[in-house]
Amino acid sequence: MAVTRAGLVYGVGALRAAARGDRMVWAVHRAALAHGIVPVVPVSVIAEGFRTEARGDRIQDLLDGSEIEVMGADRARRVGELAVKASTTDLVAASVAETAARRNCAVVASRQNALGTAAGLLGHKLVLHAV
Amino acid sequence: MVVKRSVSLGDDVAAAVEVASREDGVSFSAWLSSAAERQLRVRQGLRGVAAFEAEAGSLTEEEIAAGEALLARLLSGASGMVSRVRRR
Repeated sequence: MAVTRAGLVYGVGALRAAARGDRMVWAVHRAALAHGIVPVVPVSVIAEGFRTEARGDRIQDLLDGSEIEVMGADRARRVGELAVKASTTDLVAASVAETAARRNCAVVASRQNALGTAAGLLGHKLVLHAV
Repeated sequence: MVVKRSVSLGDDVAAAVEVASREDGVSFSAWLSSAAERQLRVRQGLRGVAAFEAEAGSLTEEEIAAGEALLARLLSGASGMVSRVRRR
């Protein structure tokens, strides 16, 4: 398998899909772990996921096999500036795009224009599995 | 807090970790700790998958194969197909 992406980043859509029992999301999560790949979840995604989904137990099961990426002041500033350039108020999508670009990861998330726009501004071709 | 442990590694593993830690710019101990942390995360994650399966039913061989194929597509740089799968 020719690998051009180093791993996976989960957006809110991935957490929602997992909470709602999307079996493909669980299958790809299982596949990643089986290959020693620990998906990355920006901390802002977690806040939004728990805000909008009732099945917190399933989200937590997904997060147990994920790397939670915290955001310091410098990165928060970069994400905010990226959101301005991408003309979006969706800071969560901007943080997913920033993380995917910086860590050269593919993304599992809902289809959002903001994701592609933000990734493009960073010179990163968005590789997305839309849920 | 850091706990000191005496561990034994095979010659070849120790040499490979020496090289890898140098390349990654971290200490031998930090590299080993990071590898152990990742392995623990994988282990915990697979338990999470098992918890989902206990409630929603085991992933079938076809679903597992589809997950593997999707992962391969994503890592190769090709966007995955939109998920159209059963939910439970």
